[in-house]
Amino acid sequence: MGTGMPTFRRLLGFLAPHRRGVIASGILALLAMLMTVSIPWLIGRAIDGLQRGDRDDLVHLGVAVGIAGVLRFALTVFRRLVAGKVSLGVELDLRHRLYTHLLSLELSFFDRQQTGQLMSRSTVDLQAVRFFLGYGLIFMVQAALTIVLAAAAMTATDPTLAAISLIPVPFVIVVAARYGRHARPALQEVQQRIAELTADVEENIGGVRVVKSFAREERQLSRFTHAVGRVFDQAMVSTRLQAFYNPLIGFLPQLGLAAILLYGGRQVIDGNLTTGEFAAFYTYLLMLLGPMRTLGVMLGMSQRATAAGARLFQILDREAQIVGPPHPRPLPPGGGRVELRDVSLRYEGAADAALDHVDLDIEPGRTVALVGGTGSGKTTLVQLLGRLYDPTSGAVLVDGVDVRDLDPQALRREVAFVTDDPFLFSASVRENIAYGRPEASDEEVEQAARRAQAHEFIDRLPDGYETRVGERGLTLSGGQRQRIAIARAFLVDPRILVLDDATSAVDATTEQAIKEALREVMADRTTFVIAHRLSTIALADEIVVLEAGRVLAHGGHDELLRESELYRAIVEKGLPDQVFLTRKPRETEVAGL
Amino acid sequence: MSDGRLRTDLRRRMAQTSGRGRKLRGLLALLMPYRLRLAGMFVALVAGTAAALAPAPLAQRAIDDGILAKDTGTLTVIVVIFVVSAFIVWVATYVQTYLTGWVGQRALQDLRIAMFRHLQTQPVAFYERRPAGVLISRMTNDVEALNQLVTDSVVTLFTASLTLIGSVVILITFDLELALLTFLVFPVLAVGSFVFRLASADAFKRTRETIGAITGYLQESLSGIRVVRSFAQEDRQRARFDELNEQNLQANMKTVYLNASYFPAVEFVSALATVGVLLYGGFQVLDGDVTVGVLVGFIAALNGFFDPIGQLSQVYTTYQSGMAALDKIFELLDTEPTMTEKPDAVDLPRPLRGEIRFDAVSFEYAGSDGDTKLALADIDLVIPPGQTVALVGATGAGKSTFAKLVARFYDPTRGRVTVDGLDLRDVRAHSLRSQMGIVPQEGFLFSGTLRDNIGFGRPEATRADVEAAAAAVGADFIARLPEGLDTEVGERGVQLSAGQRQLVAFARALIADPRILILDEATANVDLHSETRIEDGLKRLLAGRTAIVIAHRLSTIRQAGRIVVLDGGRIVEQGTHDELMDAEGAYWRLYRDWAQQAAA
Repeated sequence: MGTGMPTFRRLLGFLAPHRRGVIASGILALLAMLMTVSIPWLIGRAIDGLQRGDRDDLVHLGVAVGIAGVLRFALTVFRRLVAGKVSLGVELDLRHRLYTHLLSLELSFFDRQQTGQLMSRSTVDLQAVRFFLGYGLIFMVQAALTIVLAAAAMTATDPTLAAISLIPVPFVIVVAARYGRHARPALQEVQQRIAELTADVEENIGGVRVVKSFAREERQLSRFTHAVGRVFDQAMVSTRLQAFYNPLIGFLPQLGLAAILLYGGRQVIDGNLTTGEFAAFYTYLLMLLGPMRTLGVMLGMSQRATAAGARLFQILDREAQIVGPPHPRPLPPGGGRVELRDVSLRYEGAADAALDHVDLDIEPGRTVALVGGTGSGKTTLVQLLGRLYDPTSGAVLVDGVDVRDLDPQALRREVAFVTDDPFLFSASVRENIAYGRPEASDEEVEQAARRAQAHEFIDRLPDGYETRVGERGLTLSGGQRQRIAIARAFLVDPRILVLDDATSAVDATTEQAIKEALREVMADRTTFVIAHRLSTIALADEIVVLEAGRVLAHGGHDELLRESELYRAIVEKGLPDQVFLTRKPRETEVAGL
Repeated sequence: MSDGRLRTDLRRRMAQTSGRGRKLRGLLALLMPYRLRLAGMFVALVAGTAAALAPAPLAQRAIDDGILAKDTGTLTVIVVIFVVSAFIVWVATYVQTYLTGWVGQRALQDLRIAMFRHLQTQPVAFYERRPAGVLISRMTNDVEALNQLVTDSVVTLFTASLTLIGSVVILITFDLELALLTFLVFPVLAVGSFVFRLASADAFKRTRETIGAITGYLQESLSGIRVVRSFAQEDRQRARFDELNEQNLQANMKTVYLNASYFPAVEFVSALATVGVLLYGGFQVLDGDVTVGVLVGFIAALNGFFDPIGQLSQVYTTYQSGMAALDKIFELLDTEPTMTEKPDAVDLPRPLRGEIRFDAVSFEYAGSDGDTKLALADIDLVIPPGQTVALVGATGAGKSTFAKLVARFYDPTRGRVTVDGLDLRDVRAHSLRSQMGIVPQEGFLFSGTLRDNIGFGRPEATRADVEAAAAAVGADFIARLPEGLDTEVGERGVQLSAGQRQLVAFARALIADPRILILDEATANVDLHSETRIEDGLKRLLAGRTAIVIAHRLSTIRQAGRIVVLDGGRIVEQGTHDELMDAEGAYWRLYRDWAQQAAA
């Protein structure tokens, strides 16, 4: 069965916490089955009684059938309640585990995954698994039980006849297993293609503006149609399998029925079997038809669940690569000293290192500007501070402790990021600002917003701080989102503040005001700023010039102007019209930085 | 609960389970193109079901004419017919399963494409009001619920219904009295199912809603994973997720209670009916009115009668959630796009001259409390072909709204926007946007290679064209990538920096060779070094095109032919850089602020 069995066994493992429920529903199912099986037996007895002309017997047996019916009803209700609880519990656990696990994975995992793919696994695949564990498995067990019980009852009545009529059963099992072998990979491929489709949808919804602005709807539609066609083709592969095997599984037991009629009929004619026994036998076999067919269908379902389970395990088995040590060291008190010791980082699949043997020592409380061209490694460097990534080699130390020895959550509470494309949650403005510190008071939230120059526009929003900002904060402009993100970072009062091009979309007048506030905020913490504007660089005590992942220069503004050609080029190109600005020579202006 | 409330509640529940007309029409429309296959499927279905019903009467014949008559010859003949009928079932089921799968899957694909196409017709505002997760859920969870119905239940639904009808006929031919006695279960089951439907309507709806909420939350968590991680809020996210998960469980639990009482009750009714048949029929046998063979055959045929009823009640759940999903899907398909193309819309001339005119244009948008907010007020502006206009103003002054009106992402509330003299509401969007390039602040990239992304607007572009465009905007980082233009960029281009994504977006706009170009804060993320180079490329790009440039970095816009200063949705000033500087008005103040802090 290839990799199917271990996956299947592991899926069953999800039932372990609900062992008692599973056992209880098994027992209840068994008892209910006994009732179901007893009914034809009672009817058979009644028919024998009829031939003897015994009225009382008929009434007694009729009442007995009724009682069996009542008992079966009660047992089934309980069985369903227990099984339903188990099924929903499994679903809850599964979803919880998956979500928890996703949250524990390092960012580089998400860099290479399409959100749509992950979504599809967490919804479509999870549904297939829980459908099987919750309902399919019970039907399967029930079907198997029915077959076993009916076979036992038949054997008790007439072993030879039972043996003859049960001949098709092993064939059914072989055929069903064969079906499973073929169906699983086919279905796994269907799930995979559905995931691709989901990713496609996700991307088209996310990029709707680009699609519209280039008028590429037709092309996107034809790509989507192609993806849909791939799902169809694969679904048909598994449909063909289903169409062939399912009726075959239904056909084989019919041969058993034919054998009974032929052989059992002769036995009755020869007087070796009563008509009642024969009728009961026949009814048992009829009872087997349904379960055997169910078994076939459920096997298909279990194949789909196994295929889906394999895809879930692909995520669950991917161990988190950035985890806290078993005994994390506490972060010692400090002002946010940062040391990078011979740090290199190469992203998976990249040819060049994003950071190449970087050594850096930043005193607590300093403000450091990172300067360099697109792709020079500025963002990569700051992400190491919150241990969002681990370096390939070398070490990052915060207040003297290697970040790998700290509890990552504790570390991240001391490092706050503001990026150029801030993500806002679908929640109120207040909740978004208080994201890192949900317990903050309204006054604190408002103060953070004021410092980030966000209070004024928030106040003008329809519901002020309670205004819900839509998905990705789309109803706000880029500059407004950036300001909320800045307030969010201010509020957590971190030891290390990282501003990654945080005011790129803010207009100049507002930016000026934010900078005023920044001076105040930066005073007692280490701050890293990444910016392309001189005005922001001017906030810094020291400047690090990066190129191709290496530190080219590190020092104060004047020092770098003298020593770094690259820095000089950046400064010159970045300065505005000096004549208009101050009517002062450039050197004086620069000196005043 | 008062009587009246109870009644409205009942009516509401009935209404929820109805809407059948729309669904039926929708389903018929979906299946119409495949009616021949559908007809074939029904033929196979009827043949198969008829053959599947044969065993019961055949068995009765075998007992009465063969076994009881001690006639082995007849017995053998009957058994042969029996095997043949089973074989027919096999073949017919094959055909029917195959065709059902084919038509079902095809219809699902058609539905997916219809939804996708419908989403494409929706204006940008539609997406701004709806979480992406919910839209994705429509196309995944809900279609999946239908798929469940198609693959696992439709065949059962049809076979069970036909078997039931066939069994009714067989029971009647066996013995009318016994049959009528058996059919007493119908009214009981009908009332039961009706009550079940009323009771469960809310529960199923709630289940779908809660699962939708989970999907939405998951989607948001995944797209915002960086923020979650960097603020160390995993525990809180998890707690909220668990809460939603728990709500889903509670909603589902209700359906479990309902199912737990409904399905066993169906079984119970069938057991009762069997007792009735056994007793009544037994006495008739004793009285000599009925043969034993008839009674045995009848009881055997009862299986064929109650099995489909049981099966139907089993698939009822799948059917209900499938129908609930279909409701949601049609609800989406029935959302009329607020901005539609007029039937008599015309194509803009190609190539455009590129004259843009705003005639007394105002734009209001609805706030969350139902108020409207004014984003642009009475704008009159003519941009002659080939001119570059820079829009300047504080955040919220209306710059982006202005640009969006030119691209007809929105329609003006009052007034009209014309391009080359044609009102944008009268032209086909494709003819406008295919001649327009927009570079937004966030460079959204699709998964695929850089080459695909740059050639997005002009797929027929050659490799040399793509390379030239990349070079023109200074995207020389591409050359340093190991696979160059063939590098795959991940979803949303996360492996590239914001600035790099922006350069790609530039090349993408450049290669489309638009007549009208809109740069909305396009250079905000680009470092100065690259920006200088882009500016060279920009000069070439802007030459001979109408352009609207929005930028906070005023150095990028000094070259513009005209600068328009917006404040509170109104034009407060316009002119060239020098003119406005001399005027010492709003622009002068903005420029001073900017220059001061740029050099601070």
